[in-house]
Amino acid sequence: MAGKSRRRRKEQTEYFFDYSLLFIVLFLLGFGLVMIYSASSYSAVVDYDGDAGHFMKRQLLAIIIGLVMMIIVANIDYHFWERFAVLGYIVSAGAILMVLTPLGIESHKARRWFRIPGIGLQVQPAEIAKLCMILLLAVMVCKMGKGIRSMKGFLIMVCIPAPIAVMIWQITDNLSSALIVMAIAILMVFVASPDYKKFVIMALIVIAVAAIVVFYAMQTEGQGSFRLRRINAWLNPESQSQDTGFQTLQGLYAIGSGGIWGKGLGQSMQKLKFLPESQNDMIFSIICEELGLFGAIAVIVMFIMLIWRMMVIANNASDLFGAMLVVGVIGHIAVQAILNIAVVTNTIPNTGISLPFISYGGSSVMFLLVEIGLVLSVAKRIQLREM
Amino acid sequence: MEQNRIFHRRKIMTLFFLLTAAFLFLFGRLVYLMVWRADYYSTLATQLHERERDIKAARGRILDRNGTVLADNKTVCTISVIYNQIEDPESVIQVLCDELGMSEESVRKKVEKYSAMERIKSNVDKEIGDRIREYDLPGVKVDEDYKRYYPYGELASKVLGFTGGDNQGIVGLEVKYEEVLKGEAGSILTVTDAAGIEVERMGERRLEPVPGYDLRVSLDRNIQTYATQLAYQAMETKEADSVSILVMNPQNGEIYACVNVPEFDLNQPYELPEGTQEGLSTEERQDILNNIWRNGCISDTYEPGSTFKIITAAAGLESGAVTPESTFSCPGFIVVDDRKIRCHKVGGHGSEDFVHATMNSCNPVFITVGLRMGVEQYYSYFENFGLKKKTGVDLPGEAGTIMHKMEDMGNVELATVSFGQSFQITPIQLLTTASSIVNGGRRITPHLGMEALDSEGNVVETFTYPVEEGIVSEETSATMREILEMVVSEGGGKNGQVEGYRVGGKTATSQTLPRGSGRYIASFVGFAPADDPQVIAIAIINNPQGVYYGGQVSAPIVRQLFENILPYLGIMEYNQ
Repeated sequence: MAGKSRRRRKEQTEYFFDYSLLFIVLFLLGFGLVMIYSASSYSAVVDYDGDAGHFMKRQLLAIIIGLVMMIIVANIDYHFWERFAVLGYIVSAGAILMVLTPLGIESHKARRWFRIPGIGLQVQPAEIAKLCMILLLAVMVCKMGKGIRSMKGFLIMVCIPAPIAVMIWQITDNLSSALIVMAIAILMVFVASPDYKKFVIMALIVIAVAAIVVFYAMQTEGQGSFRLRRINAWLNPESQSQDTGFQTLQGLYAIGSGGIWGKGLGQSMQKLKFLPESQNDMIFSIICEELGLFGAIAVIVMFIMLIWRMMVIANNASDLFGAMLVVGVIGHIAVQAILNIAVVTNTIPNTGISLPFISYGGSSVMFLLVEIGLVLSVAKRIQLREM
Repeated sequence: MEQNRIFHRRKIMTLFFLLTAAFLFLFGRLVYLMVWRADYYSTLATQLHERERDIKAARGRILDRNGTVLADNKTVCTISVIYNQIEDPESVIQVLCDELGMSEESVRKKVEKYSAMERIKSNVDKEIGDRIREYDLPGVKVDEDYKRYYPYGELASKVLGFTGGDNQGIVGLEVKYEEVLKGEAGSILTVTDAAGIEVERMGERRLEPVPGYDLRVSLDRNIQTYATQLAYQAMETKEADSVSILVMNPQNGEIYACVNVPEFDLNQPYELPEGTQEGLSTEERQDILNNIWRNGCISDTYEPGSTFKIITAAAGLESGAVTPESTFSCPGFIVVDDRKIRCHKVGGHGSEDFVHATMNSCNPVFITVGLRMGVEQYYSYFENFGLKKKTGVDLPGEAGTIMHKMEDMGNVELATVSFGQSFQITPIQLLTTASSIVNGGRRITPHLGMEALDSEGNVVETFTYPVEEGIVSEETSATMREILEMVVSEGGGKNGQVEGYRVGGKTATSQTLPRGSGRYIASFVGFAPADDPQVIAIAIINNPQGVYYGGQVSAPIVRQLFENILPYLGIMEYNQ
């Protein structure tokens, strides 16, 4: 279906616009708005003076701004951005440092945002860093050519994002975003180099380290640092139900009480202030509670389709730079969605990761839409010959 | 470049499959959580979301044998406030102060206290509760509740007992039949958010309470009322400490009346009598109250005195140690071992047969009968009659018998026991044993509870009580009835005679310990009709002033009682 329409389109015009991808993104955004309203209206009425749509309206505004930015980016040749790669790296570092200035905003015990003066828009520098990192790494892959196959090239590719990741982790106290930045880099290197062995070994090392950390956390029996306690809460949420396991357990209550068919849209009980961050990081558990297993599957299928569409674009991109950009975006969206669902289902220890396009969060959705704009821009350059 | 593209595509495909595999793994995890663990988590979640309020079950009523309600429930209200739901605290405080007549300070403290639910006042009259409900103030809850109510106030107070703040039985039948009466509490389950605010769309779930069963007891309100009047009359005229009257059916052990004056007001059981000194400690108060609530017929033991000669006579006749025709000579005293025990008639009764000895209540004769039987035989009769066991009456706090150990009993002890001294039993024990002797030798279990009825009046459970046959032979029983009838018709129990009826009985006047204190207990056991006893009664006057002989102060009480209740019970007049 998609191939056929593309061919017909090619006959009419030389541009190709991936409507399937756009549709999937718009669906996720619309679905997200509905779920944000459902999840947040009760607490919004209580906390924001009776305004049930408080969170939804703010998200809608961010989406509109994001869509405009997406259309602009989609209509600019993506090669235009190549020259800003190094500048972007410096900007992300600067943005992270901005949270230390008086413009920084502290919330949930962490300084993760800063305000852009004048328009009052809050920006999470980690989101800027993710976008800039995708751009820089894509440029680097093209510059290095076959050099990336050597150990030296591999190390350079991993070392470039490392300082930014460390800054995100240490300055904004946001381990999950730091991990995502690193994951994006490694996935891009994985695609850029023909080797498999390195990555299998790396994966094994990561698993081994994780196992050691978990084992160590078990020894501390919930007495260790914040993150070690979270690991304990993950292993046994009931034991830490008053403390670090609270959110996880409340999320599990929501998911479990949804059952196969769900309670129906708007019928969630857990959103009545039982589940903290219900419109944000934990929105997937509200989806599970209200729409049941089938609603949850629908969301997962939409993400798989989104990745599949982007994979088709990456495979058919007119040059390596375009392909690498799309791979970076795939890595970002997929890793974030997977980690979010894994956290919500208590598959991995709790850490603050939002669900792309669906969770409440203005700067996140805007930067994601800019990334989709890049992907659409890459898609536009696809030539029939290569399909 | 072309070479690159091929492995790039392969890598991108690999990446896609890896990510899809991760999604599928999470999908599997979701299926596990939402299908296999769904019940577990939804149960936990429901517990988290629901707040429970109890609804008390209506406690079963207590009815007399004819269905008259002796203990009932009246609807009262409990007023409480829910902090989170109050919108206008000032008007809430104002209304509650005005309606409940409480001080502003105490109401304000409760209204402004941050708690899930604060009880302002319980046991509020229903009308006041309804008025408060009409104000329709958010955050003010009026819950209806039941409170125990005793329509006759003092009537049978020590038998019925009363209930505490949670409607649980505290003393008397209320506690003995707690399981029958209490029912099962229900609850209102309301769904709330995390802050405890009710979620209106969810409504509430009610688990209806199961009301308790009604209890039909063998008491007869009219007999109880009349006996109470007689007891008060006697207490006042004789300036006695207390008067007890027990009326029972000797054939089956149903208690018609159990009076211990002074009684207390069941609707105000914690009120101390007038003239009690102020400033008592909690323990002292409780001691006084416990004495007020005490059922003397069951919980207090006393030396029965001459009424116990019924038992000695029955044992003597049964063992063959004596026959009604046996003749004795009473010089006014008898020497047992080295002791000289006097008869109450200083000059002695002279020569008399056993029937006349009983009519005269002659101590030396009964001592002789006891000694003829010997310690071992007498003791085994004492035990066989059931005197060492409790009667098993269905009331809490029955006292046991205080009796010599057999190995410690010598002739002197045997002699005193034979005419009812040096050991203690409860009035109900004496009456039960006397019943067994005159009813043909069946040891019955005195009792009150007859049936448990549901709210429609259907019998749910009929209570049965053990009966022990063959305490004495039918023949001995018949002889005893005749002798005891003679006691009333011609002997010391003359004042127990009821015109037109054959009444049997025995009087007693016992000095309380320590001897020589001048305190006496006057008592009389009577039954009618003497040839086929349908009702047996005991009247005990504790420390009467002036004349203190049982035959003169206690027998008239039983006579007056019988005069009224024999026709009432439908016992036909006997034409002499």
